[in-house]
Parts: sequence; structure tokens; C-alpha cells
Amino acid sequence: MPPGPFGLDPVLWAILRLLIAVLLAVGLVFNGALAQIYLERKIQAIMQDRVGPIHVGPWGLLQTFADAIKLLGKEDIRARLTDHWFFLAAPAIVFSPMLASYVVLPFGPGILGADLNVGLLYLTTLGSMTVLGIVIAGWASNNKYSLIGGLRSAGQLISYEVPQILSLVTVVLVVGSLSLTHIVDAQPGWQILALYLPLAFVTYFTAGLAETNRAPFDLPEAESELVAGFLTEYSGMRWGLFFVAEYGEVTVVSAIATTLWFGGWHGPWTDINPVVGPVLGALWFTLKTYFFVLVFMWVRATLPRLRIDQLMSLCWKFLIPVTLINLMVTAVLLLVFPDTHLPVAIANWVLLVLAAAAVPFFQRRRLVALRQRLAAA
Amino acid sequence: MTYDLIGAVLFALLTIGIVAAAAGVVLINRITAAALFMAFAFLCNAGMFVLLGAETIAMFQVLIYVGAITVLILYGVMFTPQSERAYGLFFQQQKWLAAILVAPIGVAVGMLSFSFRDTGRPLAGGGDLVALATSVFRDFAFPFEIASVLLLAAMIGAIVLVKRDED
Repeated sequence: MPPGPFGLDPVLWAILRLLIAVLLAVGLVFNGALAQIYLERKIQAIMQDRVGPIHVGPWGLLQTFADAIKLLGKEDIRARLTDHWFFLAAPAIVFSPMLASYVVLPFGPGILGADLNVGLLYLTTLGSMTVLGIVIAGWASNNKYSLIGGLRSAGQLISYEVPQILSLVTVVLVVGSLSLTHIVDAQPGWQILALYLPLAFVTYFTAGLAETNRAPFDLPEAESELVAGFLTEYSGMRWGLFFVAEYGEVTVVSAIATTLWFGGWHGPWTDINPVVGPVLGALWFTLKTYFFVLVFMWVRATLPRLRIDQLMSLCWKFLIPVTLINLMVTAVLLLVFPDTHLPVAIANWVLLVLAAAAVPFFQRRRLVALRQRLAAA
Repeated sequence: MTYDLIGAVLFALLTIGIVAAAAGVVLINRITAAALFMAFAFLCNAGMFVLLGAETIAMFQVLIYVGAITVLILYGVMFTPQSERAYGLFFQQQKWLAAILVAPIGVAVGMLSFSFRDTGRPLAGGGDLVALATSVFRDFAFPFEIASVLLLAAMIGAIVLVKRDED
């Protein structure tokens, strides 16, 4: 046990430290959600040639605060035929694993909750627990749209976990550690892993979009076909909690992408001073993470939603084979050339180009097959 | 108060959690609630593994059992046609027979748990990751591969069975 500051009893300090960490994480999640909702509305507005929120506060900055207060003040409505305890538990089951993810994220040099040596595994584990909450939300609502949304979500999340984990394994192979601190330490300066493993990053990010139920993979809550999916029967702050969890997960996925492929907190001037350095590191980390959060929003404003069969075939027929080939090639090359990562990097770039070039070809073949089927019918 | 005491308290809480959740799984009539209780028991079990210094196994416990198997069970429950009758589970109709059958196992488990002594310390430093990887991929690589081929065969068999029904 680490001894506490000011001669504090280590046991007392451990409990205090836990309390501080949880409060910090809760603050980070809720403020992050407020900031991201504002950003999302503004960015979508800019991309769609609107102005977005402008009336509440300067540049509409207080709009999300007003919305949050409105949500908190709403009557807690629960339909009579819902499954009481499950209905209450579902938002918590979705929210708490997301909150627990913040334990292992390395925000800066020395700024992290716990340096688990299975940190990456821990993160994927928590990601998989969200499915349970969403399925239960769909089931407990006693509403067919909720149920379809919940089932779709379970299918989607379980399928996309496979390419996500396979992409992460590629990184783990190259770095040789599951600890996020080691992974950050393995990429000082310009040697970020995105230059070595671009394909793994692309597949991870695509799977991450699906894991967080974000557009273009937001089928579980597809407004045009399912009312609001598993959220249909929820209102007030329970509904809000699902959204806070979603934005929190977007942050976690972005933070993982930052940590694994873009050097985490590494940046200029992080080692000038034991006090300023970590703060600057946390700043670089936040900036990088929010860059990926913005990419999430950009993707949402750009791409139309996929159909459920397209979603599944994208995962099983494209992402999983590509990640499997990538993993196999990386493993073999690492065994053959244990001293240098250069062959792995070259193979990864070649595979990325091949995969990108293959997409239009397969797309055309699929369209031709569809046209023939339609002509025959 | 020492760290050892905290470990013992956590262990006791986890034990109560596992036993209570297991009792809930068997005693509760609603199958969805039983599935959730089972997930809770798995979580407490993972906590036990962490206390023993086996973080990797704890993570896999949650990843596979809570994240995948419980969801699979819930899927099964949702797709099973629910009849209107209040159903008692099979075991709940045969209390005395069950008690007689459980008693010998209970005695054995009780004797085992009271004879338990803390023989080995948790793995020091680095956790169990390297030890686990070495045993799976080096010492027992062949049995491990055999098991994976077996699972693959089972999976293909399941797909073939389902496909035959469709035709």
C-alpha cells in the first residue's frame, strides 16, 4: 500500500484516494457529457449550415446546462406494465462499467487511478458489460420497439467486440504489455503506433463507433424505424443517464485510441518540470481525446445509417477477416524479426491500402448480385 | 485496522454475495431475475480471483460469463415462448429429495472449507498474466489447440444443424 501524503495512515489514504478518484471520474463524465452535447449540436449545426444553440448564455454555452436541469426536474414516469426493478437497474448497469473504465486511463505522467497490468483487458471487459444493461432495458420496458432495440444492440455489440479486441491484440503483440502505462511509454516522441499499425487503428475505430452505438451504427436507437429503441419507455434523468453513459463511452473509446495509437499524454514540454509536466501531459491527452470525439461527431454528420444486414456483413465479412489476417501477419513478422518493427509497419500499411482498394470492388460485386436478384424476382 | 483485515472483510462480502446470488438463482421463479443473479454471482467470483492475485482470470470471468453467457441466456429466455401458467422450477417440487441429495455434498464442501489453510502467497509482482500465458501457450499448447479445434467442430456442427432446419 502506498503511504499517504502528510503522514496519513495508508489505509485511510487508500479509502480517501478511492473517494477522490470516484468523485473526479463522476465530475469528468458529467462535465464531459455537457461539453460534448454542446459541441455535437454546434458542430452538426455548422456542418448543416445552421447556427445551433445561441440564445441561452454567450454563444448558447448554457443551453446544455438548461437541458440538464430540465431533465433532472422532469417527473419520473414509469409505465405500469414495465418490469419495475429491471427498469430501474438498467441505466445503472449501463452507466457503472463506463464509469469504472476511468480507473485505468493514463491521463498524464503519474496521473491515473491504477496501473493494472491487465489494463487493456479490463477496459474491453467493462465494454462487454454494457450489453447486459441494454438488453435488460429493452426487456424490462415491455415494449416491442424497446425489445427489438435491445436485441439488435446485443447482436451488434457482441459482433463488433470481436474485431475490436483483435485490433487491440495487434497492438499488444507489438508493445508486449497489456498495461496502458507501458503502451504509452513504448511510443515516445514521433514513434506513435499509428505509424506502425494504421490498419489496426482503422478497424478499432470502426468497431468503436459500433460499440458506442454511434452513427452510422446507431441501429439500437434508430429513430426512423424503432421510435427510440431501448430508450422508448425512458424519460427524465433515467433517459439522461443512458446518454451520459453513451458520451462517456465515446470519451473512453477516444481515450483508448489516443493511448494506444497516438502516444497518450506524450507531447512537447512534458518533462520540463515535475509539476507543470504532468499538467501539460493531461492537456495533450485531453486535446488528442477530444480530437477523436470530434471525429465521432464528424462521422455522425457525414454518413447515413446502415441497415441491420449491412451492419452485420460489414462486421463478419469485412472487419473480422481483415483483423484476423492483420493479427496473423503481425504475429509471424514479429516472430521472424524480433528486433525491428519496420516489417510489421510495412505489412500493416500494405494491408491497409489493399483493404481500402478492395472495398469498391466488393461493393460493385454486391450491387451486381443484388441487381440480378431483383431482375429475377 | 490493517490491510490484511480489509482483505478479509472484502472476502467475506464477496462470499455473502456469491452465496446469496446462488440462492437467488435457485429459489426465484422468474427466469430473467435468476439470470441477473447469476451475473452477480459471476462478478463476485471475479472479485475473489482479484483477491487471490489472478487478475487475468478475473477479467476473463467477467468478459466471458457476464458479458457473453448471461446475455446469451437472456436471449434464450426472450425467444422462448412464455406460457401463461405460473411455473415452478423442477427442483422446487422435490424439496426433500433435493435435500437428501445435497446433504452429502454439503458435508464434503463444509469439511473442505474448514480444512482450508492459506498455503501460498498470491503471485508477487506482475500478476498472473505471464504465468497463465506460459502455461497455455507453452506448457499445454497442444491440449489447448485440441480444445480449440473441438470447439470449432462444435460450432460448425451447430451451424449445420440450424441450416438443415431451414431447408
